[in-house]
Formats: sequence, C-alpha cells, structure tokens
Amino acid sequence: MRTVAFILAGGVGKRLSLLTRYRAKPAVPFGGRYRIIDFTLTNCVRSGIDEVYVLTQYISRSLVRHIGIGKPWDLDRMTGGLHVLHPHLGYQATDWYRGTADAMYQNISVLKGLACENVMILSGDHVYLMDYRGFIGFHLEGGKPASVGLVRVPRSLTREFGIASIDRSGNITKFVEKPATSDSNLASMGIYIFNKEFLISVLKQLESSHADLDFGKHVIPHLVSKDQVSGYEFKGYWLDIGTLKSYYMASLELLRERPRLKLCNTSFPVLTVPDDAPPFVVTGEASVSNSLICNGCLIRGEVHSSILSPGVTVEKGARVESSILFNECTIGSGAEVRNTIIDKAALIGPRARVGFGEPGTPNRLHPEYLDFGITIIGKKTVVPGGIHIGTNCLVSGTLDRGLIPRHEIEDGESSVAADLRL
Amino acid sequence: MKILTLILAGGTGKELSVLTRHRAKTAVPFGGRYRIIDFCLSNCVHSGMHEIAILAQYSPKSLIDHIGMGKPWDLDRKSGGVYILQPTYNGEAAQWYLGTADALYQNLDLIRNSRAEMILVLSGDQVYVMDYRRMLEYHLARGTACTLAIKKVHPSQRSRFGMVRRSRDGLVTAFKEKPTQSTFRFASLGIYLFRRDFLLDTLEAGKRDIVFDIIMPLLARGDVAGYEFEGYWEDIGSIPSYYRASLQLLKHRLLITDPDWPIFTQGGGLPPARCADGSRVSNSIVADGCVVKGTVTGSILFPGVTVERGAVVRDSIVFPFTRVGAGARVTKAILDKFVRVGEGASIGVRPGPAGTARNAVSPGRQPDAGTDIAVVGRKARILQGVTVSAGALVEPHAIARTRRKR
Repeated sequence: MRTVAFILAGGVGKRLSLLTRYRAKPAVPFGGRYRIIDFTLTNCVRSGIDEVYVLTQYISRSLVRHIGIGKPWDLDRMTGGLHVLHPHLGYQATDWYRGTADAMYQNISVLKGLACENVMILSGDHVYLMDYRGFIGFHLEGGKPASVGLVRVPRSLTREFGIASIDRSGNITKFVEKPATSDSNLASMGIYIFNKEFLISVLKQLESSHADLDFGKHVIPHLVSKDQVSGYEFKGYWLDIGTLKSYYMASLELLRERPRLKLCNTSFPVLTVPDDAPPFVVTGEASVSNSLICNGCLIRGEVHSSILSPGVTVEKGARVESSILFNECTIGSGAEVRNTIIDKAALIGPRARVGFGEPGTPNRLHPEYLDFGITIIGKKTVVPGGIHIGTNCLVSGTLDRGLIPRHEIEDGESSVAADLRL
Repeated sequence: MKILTLILAGGTGKELSVLTRHRAKTAVPFGGRYRIIDFCLSNCVHSGMHEIAILAQYSPKSLIDHIGMGKPWDLDRKSGGVYILQPTYNGEAAQWYLGTADALYQNLDLIRNSRAEMILVLSGDQVYVMDYRRMLEYHLARGTACTLAIKKVHPSQRSRFGMVRRSRDGLVTAFKEKPTQSTFRFASLGIYLFRRDFLLDTLEAGKRDIVFDIIMPLLARGDVAGYEFEGYWEDIGSIPSYYRASLQLLKHRLLITDPDWPIFTQGGGLPPARCADGSRVSNSIVADGCVVKGTVTGSILFPGVTVERGAVVRDSIVFPFTRVGAGARVTKAILDKFVRVGEGASIGVRPGPAGTARNAVSPGRQPDAGTDIAVVGRKARILQGVTVSAGALVEPHAIARTRRKR
C-alpha cells in the first residue's frame, strides 16, 4: 500500500509579522539551523513516504530554494521524489489557491495520475516529530475513507482549533471548527489521510459549492456528517507555529534540559540542507551558557539563553539574552539585546540597546499579536549604534541616523518602512 | 588550460600514532569538522581544477567514505570529478605503490588519456590555503618542465624538509632532502606542476620517487622553477605538529572561516551545539551536535562531543562522538572518535610531587619521545576515576583501569 504526501506550504502566516515578510511560513527558521518545513519533510521520509508534493503560493522563493530537488531528505529520486506545485495558468479556468482543499482540487490531475491507494495531506507549518506509519496503519484498519490526526490541547486553547469528538472505535462523531466552548479537547492537527479515489470524488463534489474549499472548514465537517471519518490520536509533541508568541515560546523551550521536541534524537534526526560553515568559534573573553549555537558563529561577547543560527557574530562586550538570532546577524561591540527576534543579516550597531522596556505596552501597529514583551528586528535591518529600542517594537529597514531623528524607539512603537508594512 | 590533479594520499602516517591506526593520514580529522584532505580538495575547486584523482593505498576506507562521489566539493560532475585510485592487478604483476613516482607510473594510462596539458601533483596530508592558478601562471611564465612550490622556513626546521636553492631567475639549482645542515632557505612543499608531455616521457618502471628520480635529474638542465608560496602551510607529520597546527586555529581562524575560501567537507547533519545552563566555553572551536554542560577552554570539539557536568576539557582536541563523563578532567590530550572518559577520570596529568599520580596508567609506548600530549585511540574506554598521565598513549579499543595497589 503506497502513500503519497502533499504538503500545504502556501499560507501567508501574517501573525508571524516581519518574519514572514520575505518568506513563506514553512521557510521560517526554527531551532537554529532548521526551517519549519524540515520537520514535516523529515517525518515523511522517516515514515517511508518517498513521493512528496509541496504546494506553494505565498513568497515561495526561499522555500523553493531550501527544498531544491529534495537532496537532504533523499527525495532526489528516479521514482517518486519531491515536486513543487505552484499555482499556474492552464487550459481550463485556473486561479490562486483559495483554500487548502481548493489547492488540492486545482491539482486534481496530479492526484488522478498517482500510483497509490492513499494520499496524506500535511501542513508545512507544524513543528513535530511523528512516525506516520502508525497513522497510516490506523487508517488502513479503520475502514473509513478519511482519517484525521488529532492531538490533545489545553482546554483554554480549544477555540483556536478544529475540535473533534470520537467514539470508542475511533470514529469522529462531531467536528467543530474553532468552537466557543467544547466538551472535547482533541484538536485536529490539520493532517489527513484519504483514500485517493474517495478524495477525488469528494473534491469534485464540494468544489462547486465553496470557492474557498477548505479541509477544516468544509471537507471534514461534511464527511463527519456522513460518518466517513476516523480520528487518530497522536500522543507526542506537536505545535502549529501560528503566532509570534508560540514561535518564541516554542523556540526557547528547546533550551530546557529535556525539551519536548527532541532535536538531538540520533535515531530520528531532523534533516535539513547541510551547511558549509566552519564550527563556531568562542574567543577567550566570551561566555556562553544555556544556548543553542550553530556552525559559523563567532562569539566574542556574552550569549545566554539564546538561539544563534549559522553565521552570527557577537562582538566584544556585546550581550545577548533570551533572544533568537537568525543567520548572519551581527551584534556590534557593547550592544545589548534582550527578548528579541532578529531576522537574517541584520546588524545591531555598537552600544545599541534592544528589547529593554516595560512589557505593558502592546505594539501599536499590531497589538493583537505583539503584546508579550519581545521586539522584532526585520531582515537586513541596520540598527544604528547607541540607539535604545524598547519592547513590543517592530523595526525594519535601514534606520539611518539622518532619516530617523530619534535616539529611541519607545515601547510599543514601530519603525517599519512603508513598503514593508504587512 | 586543462589541469589534471593527482593527490598522493597513500602514506601510512605512522608518526600520527593511534590516530592513523584505522585511517589514512589524509582522513585524519582536523579543525573541528574537517579531514586533512579537505584543504587541498577545496583549494583545487576554488582554483578551478575539477579533474582530480586521489592515489590511496593505506587504510582507505574512511577516505573513501569521506570523498564519496565528491558532492561536498561539487565534484560530482559529468566531465572530470574526483575518483580514488588504488593499486590494482594489471594482468602481469600486482604490486603496491612503491613510491610517489611509482604511484604516478602505475596510473600512466590516466595521464596519457587525459586531455590536460598540465599535471598538478599534491600531497593530501597538508593544511594550507593556496590558489594553484598563481602557481600555474608562474609555471607558464618560466616555461619549465616542472615547477615546485617552495616556502622559506626557519633554519631550525630545515632538517625536516627537502631544501632547495633558487636562483635569481626563479630556477631551482640545488635540492637536498632533509639535510642535517643547510644554507638553503627554501623548503619544497611537495606541490608539483608538470608538463604532461614531460611526465609521459619520463615516467617509467623503476623510478620510484618524484624528488630523486624525476626532479633531481632535471636540475642540471635548468628545467625546474621554484614558485614561492608565502601563506600558512603545515605538513601534519607528527603528533606534536598535529596538535600545534590544530590549536593554532584558535588564533589564526581565518584558515577555516574565510568566507571567500570556504573549506568544503562532508557531514553537517547534526543539530546545533547546546551549551547548557552552567556551562563555560571560552577560547574554543565547537562543532554542531556537541552538548557542553561542563567547562571547555582552549580546545577543539568535533561534532557530537558530550562534555558532562563538572568536567573540564582544557587545551585538548576531541574527535566526533566522544563523551567526557561528569567531573572528568582532560588536559592537553587528543581523544579519538567514540572514546568514553568515565566519571572523575583524569587524562593528561603531569607527574607531580610523589603520590599525586599514584593511580596513573601509561599503557603502551610513548607516541613521540619528549611529547607531553596524551593520545587516546578510537573507542578506548577510560574507566571511572582512572588517571592517564601526560604524554601517555592509550590504544584503540583499550580499557584503561586503575592499577591495583601492591
């Protein structure tokens, strides 16, 4: 029984703010050297799935570049392998992908041509390590044409997920998308297995009634009403990187003595594009503790409770604490950075202070997702030396002293070039 | 101009003691994530030389694993690429490579069938960064049959090298192999450029050594040029030179961190290194996959090394996947791959006042008379609380126990 996987990797990820300004959410760096999609791709190949389609749409350049021909996952194959499906013009009416199931419907000819019995629909936005073979086995035994991966979430979060109720034999009896209240806390992981022919017929049937056909909103509730769906409970760690807060918290959780996400598991290593960088260098005056450090870093200052992606430089006298630094950032001498996410290739000038302030003032541009006391510095931003940047700030572009008369960006303020605003 | 590069990688490297017990010298780990051969391979591809044969014969397994089809160096190519040539049975007499020139002679077909005009011959066991195109330009300008790369060395070092005298017009006029005393200022680096037609004419059975059988006879004809190389160059010839060259990287890290000349290598699939709460890391080079809970100073940790809580690793080089147990002390030592250092064990303890090293074990012979660098072979186990003295050598797979008191 062959299973082919489709990874939905087209979402905008607006709630990740500046981090998704230049890249799709699945391409956002995570855990120092990975990108979010690495987890799902790794799960596929570890589970024996060797034919994977990645559906892209939103700013896919860095994502497509990252996955390439699938070499790091051994998906550069003669049979099967990795393929990118981007929205395209065709002979018949075609359009952008308007919903998760609509994306599948627009690729229905690919689906029809597959030599497989089952199709797995996955998301490129999730961080988890899962052997899908258990799920696939469950689907084959269950006898229902569709199965949904479920995970238990805290009761306080049920309104953010699709919540399922299951009976003793694993059939989903009720499925409500983002319910105000619920007696179940089994959330849909947004991963599904369908019998291929069944999926084709359901997509055809529902497409005409919903232009933005979505698995969670339309397909699954419709099938539940016909008692055609089983639910498989996954007991491991699973996280949908939905918001800046969940991204930041999940990242710093990796620093725990025993993190729930086991990046260091040698029998299930996360696969990603190998790097050419030299090992990292720590000089005599530096100090490093409670941190994840990637190859290519040069540390001459202090780094505590932080994650440094490859190629980060921390100059003499600089201090980095509780922060996440993406590839090729530079922290100038004497600068202090706290509770900050700094995107790729940004430069923090000497003696700048970033992320110091009172967390009580939410960001004025985006109070809904930047109110928990961190600051975001966008890709390639040049922060001038000596400036003070508070907390809950969004900063992007080149902050030239001549253009920005202030020596300070206060708590909750933003300095984002107009063309970079989301 | 097409160049065929031949990398001599067959040496036994006996002077490297247990580090070369199971691997070719060119495959010895160096610089935190590389193997020695990565330097000349990276030099080749950065210099635009994409047709490379590696002549191997001693314990080539780890070398073959490492090189694979040359992917990390972009040498998995349709034209050219990298391949490993081992001595083969040619239908008449089967024999090992008997010397550097003999290795070339046994692969004469390769040189004959190549469409290259020049043959670059390198040693796979040297650490340096060099643009061979500069040497090629020099060679073409001189128009000689052969050009040697040479470098000024300190008078005290002259007995280690083949020393040459160079005339004002850049020709090599005399060559002395490892002279006890010499007034010649330049050492030959074992890097040679030959005109292909010359090499085809001169290689023949019985000529074993490049220096004695090929270059020496050319000197009288004035057909050897000396190209002076002024950059860093180190021949990894012994445990002390390996140790010194490694720890020099802490000061002269540009050798591995130059963004314009990256050193390419295999691997790189491990998670980021984790420096735990309470760890102290300073003046060190640390690779991915390491977990440091103790203290690391003045050291180089290769991928996947674990330093447990309370352990101190000082002035040492630790190869991949070795584990230093809680409270252990490692000082001025080289630990090979997969070594297990038990809790509270000490490696590299100097013989101090009477009684301090009472439990010391010094199994095996000294790696190099006069060195105080402790060397622990692959997969050796240093049991809990055991002391291994400075300069001691622990064999691969050995188990170091405390000697019973008499």
